Amino acid sequence: MTNTVQDIHMSNVTQKKNWQAFLSKLGITKFNDQELDAIEQTIGIYDDEQLVATGSIAGNIIKYVGVCAIGETSKGARFNQLMTALENRMALLERFHQFVYTKPLYVQSFEHVGFKLLADSSAGVLLEKGSPDVQNFLNAIPKALQGVQTIGSVVVNANPFTIGHQYLIEKAANENDLVYVFVVNQDVSLFRTAERFDLVKQGVKNFKNVIVVAGGDYIISYLTFPSYFITNTQQVINYQTTIDARIFKNIIAPALAIQRRYVGSEPLSHTTNLYNQTLVRELEPEIKLIIVPRIAQDNQTEIVSARKVRQAIAENDFEAWSEIVPETTKKFINQHLAELQMRIRKGQKINGN
Amino acid sequence: MEIKKTAIAGTLESSDVQIMLTQGTDGIVFDLVSDVAKQFDDAIKQTINQVLSEYGIQNVIVKVVDKGALDMVIKARTVAVVQRALDTVGEPKWEVL
Amino acid sequence: MAIEEKLRRTMMFVPGNNPAMVKDAGIFGADSIMFDLEDAVSLSEKDAARYLVYEALKTVDYGRSELVVRINGLDTPFYHNDIKAMVKAGIDVIRLPKVETADMIRNLEKLVVEAEIEFGREVGTTHLMAAIESARGVVNANEIAQASKRMIGIALSAEDYTTDMKTHRYPDGQELLYARNVILHAARAAGIAAFDTVFTNLNDEAGFKRETELIHQLGFDGKSLINPRQIDLVNQVYQPLKKEIITAQNVIAAIEDAKQKGSGVISMNGQMVDRPVVLRAERVMRLAKANNLVDEEGNYIEK
Repeated sequence: MTNTVQDIHMSNVTQKKNWQAFLSKLGITKFNDQELDAIEQTIGIYDDEQLVATGSIAGNIIKYVGVCAIGETSKGARFNQLMTALENRMALLERFHQFVYTKPLYVQSFEHVGFKLLADSSAGVLLEKGSPDVQNFLNAIPKALQGVQTIGSVVVNANPFTIGHQYLIEKAANENDLVYVFVVNQDVSLFRTAERFDLVKQGVKNFKNVIVVAGGDYIISYLTFPSYFITNTQQVINYQTTIDARIFKNIIAPALAIQRRYVGSEPLSHTTNLYNQTLVRELEPEIKLIIVPRIAQDNQTEIVSARKVRQAIAENDFEAWSEIVPETTKKFINQHLAELQMRIRKGQKINGN
Repeated sequence: MEIKKTAIAGTLESSDVQIMLTQGTDGIVFDLVSDVAKQFDDAIKQTINQVLSEYGIQNVIVKVVDKGALDMVIKARTVAVVQRALDTVGEPKWEVL
Repeated sequence: MAIEEKLRRTMMFVPGNNPAMVKDAGIFGADSIMFDLEDAVSLSEKDAARYLVYEALKTVDYGRSELVVRINGLDTPFYHNDIKAMVKAGIDVIRLPKVETADMIRNLEKLVVEAEIEFGREVGTTHLMAAIESARGVVNANEIAQASKRMIGIALSAEDYTTDMKTHRYPDGQELLYARNVILHAARAAGIAAFDTVFTNLNDEAGFKRETELIHQLGFDGKSLINPRQIDLVNQVYQPLKKEIITAQNVIAAIEDAKQKGSGVISMNGQMVDRPVVLRAERVMRLAKANNLVDEEGNYIEK
């Protein structure tokens, strides 16, 4: 009854320490920068002076949820009060759609306040609530017409779109009646999301059976999935890739009748290679995973990659990027070269994906 | 009448109900989660429908998380969420009360 | 005042946006229930709380409790709609916070009259009370108490007042002594009720009892409360002694005798009984009944 909701400011060292100590007691011990930097607001419920519950808002994700049941008047009361406060704060920001990544054992608690399970794995689960939800996302995607037999899919970040992406999509287009190309949504790359999306569209416009879809909230970079609640670091990448694969398999693919997914082989990146392994494990047999060997450059020694394009832009090496991007991407880079290089100078990372 | 924007009202606390309205195109569509028995679902929907019809709202998605709210609470929360969704928080429609 | 004096020992605060507390507010036996639309409700929930209290007032049976709503202040965007909604709901008393001048009460009264006419409520049936929360309010307490015929009481709100006075609350209450006496005098001179402030430390029962005894001694009608647990404690402090009840019963009997004889003069033990004595006797008997110290026939119940 005396519980009050208050702001917790991460810039206040004492508050932050107190907050971390509280969560640590509840088994949440990971406070790395990637997780913390995304936090916009943190609130706490205090019983007199004592912190008894906390949660944070990062975009449309609710994270670092911790509730202490000691001294609680009725079971779940604090959790419900906390979730109300978080959702109302998000509503003030005009955000009516929430995601929660959490441990499997908390699924019920979140379902009791209206969340729905999107995907689960043994180490972590993903739930959502509010609007627009996954159904709205799926409804907005054009569906295959009557008579279409085989439907394939490709997921790309395309930072930027290269002849490697083009080759992969072309292969899929040749082998299927219809191909969905999903463009990852996060706006954290050198090429902005809108730019990436446009370059994909331009790059595939000659393939008449390809539909390019903005990934929205459901085709996102699995590496950004919060994992602060998983103590065993070994499990993190498996949890992230599994959740990603299961959203695709259980939600997106059935709604669009997708039967195949095409990915490039991954000789260079350990992480992406693990991802492909997870896709094989999770998607098969219902969805056939087709791993297409990456095409090589003219010199036959190096494979084509978007990272090389970004590197070349940073080094102002026109020759290097020109030979691995299609005309449409080349034109964009030429027109925006100064701006792209400015982004790099201002600190935009180019070695990720 | 159509609502102007997504809005939410109420809480997830005991004896309360949380109601969210989003623009819809297909009549009044409910998505209801309740702590109390299923047989009360219709009563909850009826109360919300009544308020919506008094505001003349015909197309809307209604997401409800019920925590055992009395009828009068459901009505109060529906009025609040409708006024918010119509962007008329400062001008209550007195005849609905 | 034309209306019969009510017992107002306990005015229980109920957060206006909390359905569980709003619906159950009637079961604790508070003399007055004060639904709070002001401090207990965050800015973004003002509208929702107003509708909740409105619906509760229309549907919940709160028994014999007097129903009060603390609306948002004159300087807020919620003021006008709060007044309209509460008048439409048929509230007994509107409590205006942060009152500093008689004009604020007159402004409120004007809007209440308009709302009564708009919603077809009998003009004059909505009563008012003022919360004094500043030095300026204390200085003007007398005018405020007499600002309207609708006024039923005046209350001290100590949290803001002590801040305004550049102090804070102390266990012995010395910092409130002047304000309490001023408000009490203003109330008594205007013939309305005087309410003392809340006691917020729920864990300090001894402190609460001490403060209640003090304000009882001073002459306050009662106290604002933040928790139903405090109701019994206040009622115990306000409960009359056996001796007082017997005296009161004698006075009442003398009134009856005078009525029977058709005499305009009430006398007891050869002395004339004047009006303050009669009022006091009536108040003692109301308190005795409220505390279940007498049965229906008026016999004292030994406990």
